[in-house]
Amino acid sequence: MQFLREARYTLHVAFHPFDGFWDLKYEERGRLRIALAILLGVTLTMILKRQFSGYVVNFNHPLSLNSINELKYIVFPFLLWCVANWSLTTLMDGEGKFREIVVATGYAMLPLILVYVPNLLLSNVITLREASFYYLLESVAYLWFLWLLFVGTMTVHQYTVMKTIATMLLTLVVMGVMIFLGLLFFSLIQQFVSFAYTVYQELALRR
Amino acid sequence: MKQALIILAAALLLASIRPAAATAAPYEGYVYSWWGEAVHSPIAYLPSRSITGQEAGGEPWQAANDLFAAADGSLYVLDSGSGTIIVLDREWQLQDRIYAFERDGEPDSFRNPEGLFVTPSGHIYVADTDNSRIVELGPDGEFVREIGAPQSDVLSAGFTFFPRKVIVDKAGRIYVIARGVFDGIIEFDSDGVFTGFMGTNRVAFDPIDLFWKTVSTQEQRDKMIRFVPIEFNNLALDGEGFIYTTTADRTSLSPVKRLNPSGIDVLRITDAYLPPIGDYARVRSTFVDIDAVGSGVYRALDSTRGRVFTYNEDGSLLYVVGGLGNQRGTFRNPVALANHEDRLYVLDRDLGRITEFAPTRFGELVNEANALYAGGKHHEAAELWQEVIKLDANYEMAYVGIGKSLLRQGEFKQALTYLKLGNDRIYYSKALAKYRREYMQENFGFYMTILLGMLLLVLIGRGLARRQRKEAKAHAVSQGS
Repeated sequence: MQFLREARYTLHVAFHPFDGFWDLKYEERGRLRIALAILLGVTLTMILKRQFSGYVVNFNHPLSLNSINELKYIVFPFLLWCVANWSLTTLMDGEGKFREIVVATGYAMLPLILVYVPNLLLSNVITLREASFYYLLESVAYLWFLWLLFVGTMTVHQYTVMKTIATMLLTLVVMGVMIFLGLLFFSLIQQFVSFAYTVYQELALRR
Repeated sequence: MKQALIILAAALLLASIRPAAATAAPYEGYVYSWWGEAVHSPIAYLPSRSITGQEAGGEPWQAANDLFAAADGSLYVLDSGSGTIIVLDREWQLQDRIYAFERDGEPDSFRNPEGLFVTPSGHIYVADTDNSRIVELGPDGEFVREIGAPQSDVLSAGFTFFPRKVIVDKAGRIYVIARGVFDGIIEFDSDGVFTGFMGTNRVAFDPIDLFWKTVSTQEQRDKMIRFVPIEFNNLALDGEGFIYTTTADRTSLSPVKRLNPSGIDVLRITDAYLPPIGDYARVRSTFVDIDAVGSGVYRALDSTRGRVFTYNEDGSLLYVVGGLGNQRGTFRNPVALANHEDRLYVLDRDLGRITEFAPTRFGELVNEANALYAGGKHHEAAELWQEVIKLDANYEMAYVGIGKSLLRQGEFKQALTYLKLGNDRIYYSKALAKYRREYMQENFGFYMTILLGMLLLVLIGRGLARRQRKEAKAHAVSQGS
């Protein structure tokens, strides 16, 4: 029952973002488990969407569908966003804690479920001519998500509008930097390992 | 125990029955799926016979460059090396050999001729390349006339005429492709008077080149490569008087063109992602010859991989025949192809050999079904497409054909299944619209009842909730809190 009440509150956040995100932070109404449940829900929605969208709008090669990819393209960017945003706002006088950032980002993703699921059902009965409505709803969901993310970031860190926009753009840059460093790190480790292995081989095979 | 043994024996027997291997072909049949992936398909044409110069009774062909199949089934081979035209009849018996003719009482011959064309009345037109002329010979090889270099102001002063390929349309107009002419096809009227160029290829340019060109000086610009359109390398006439051309350009997305009499490309390409360019591979196909077959079907010969691609009028690939190799049915350097009835002939210059291909059952079915389909006889075509599917369950065109036929018959639900299998979204969507309407008409009552019922329930529920709340309030008031 408690969980259901918390889940219902996400709707309030989606429809009244300023009030909602404020309460999430200052009235302690944000729940990590709800944020993670939404993340899971979005992942599931995307998997279903790829598989079961109507044929008219579904351009996925059935043989190339892979649910693991959704982890790569949703869960990983989510975590990356949160970490990047936290790292950045810590330096930029943001008031948000890491947990608050995760909660705000998670709650902001709700429109994706709210719109994509009915849209998925709708897509099965529309023709090519009506497909533009489908794409319109897709864009609406996306813009709504961005709007919530914007308001969420602004509220959590208590920023001005311009600073929020700048922070969000910078967060994207930081995400890129993190990916670059990650790749660099793994590539270096690989080099180390192969070097050590070569040395070992050289010694082991020497007589 | 005994039963088990019998079952085992039966299973072994079943396992040992294998379908008889189809006549082995040295190449594989395939088509491209909607996703652009090559999908195995049965072999549509198999080599049936082949002939070389010696087998035809004579010298080996040194550099045979062109091949023409006349309406009566006889083959005209043009051997550029010896400047000879060899005529074979239907049974491939040597009928004639033309290596010299008499012009105004003087003996004359060809020098490295590269193309020939035979009119329905049997007149032979030869692109006599190194002699810079087109020669017309009568049915018995007698000289009729010659057409020299075009005279016109639009040609530059140093222009030399090297005709490579020639065709003549029903009205007697002569179309010539010449080496180093980028303005398109050279057109002569029936009297051999130059009338103009038609069907120029567009210049392919790239924005980076354009940028460098704008910032460079005049001297630099003069030293740059000039941007000229790529010349056509072959042409063919179809039954309706349209001209098919090929361009040996591996970057172009339209190596095949179908020019109408005013020189405008009217080739139909239904799927813009899969244009008729041969193989969708990194190393692209190079079309060197093209031939129209009838009911909009055309075949193009790819010299990169030695394959003949057959497309229907929508630009969908029907089947692929041939390949490079040393076996019968493969080529070393294929240069020309020709068609007669359902046979396909490919001329190999290096081997000096013509190979004839005959359709297999699959090929026949596809040809026939496609012809019916192109003629709008969807129901008759659908029956044949069903047969095609039995041979090749991956043949998308067959599913589309059946789907369209079902759609016309009003079997919308089945049509949806077939159109989805055939990956035709446009017709799928049409069928869906029809199916949707039909479904709603049949089930309108049911869904309306459910909807009204739910509406009623919601209203009642709300009413009850309101009353409860009121009562609770009243109760609280009466408690005097």
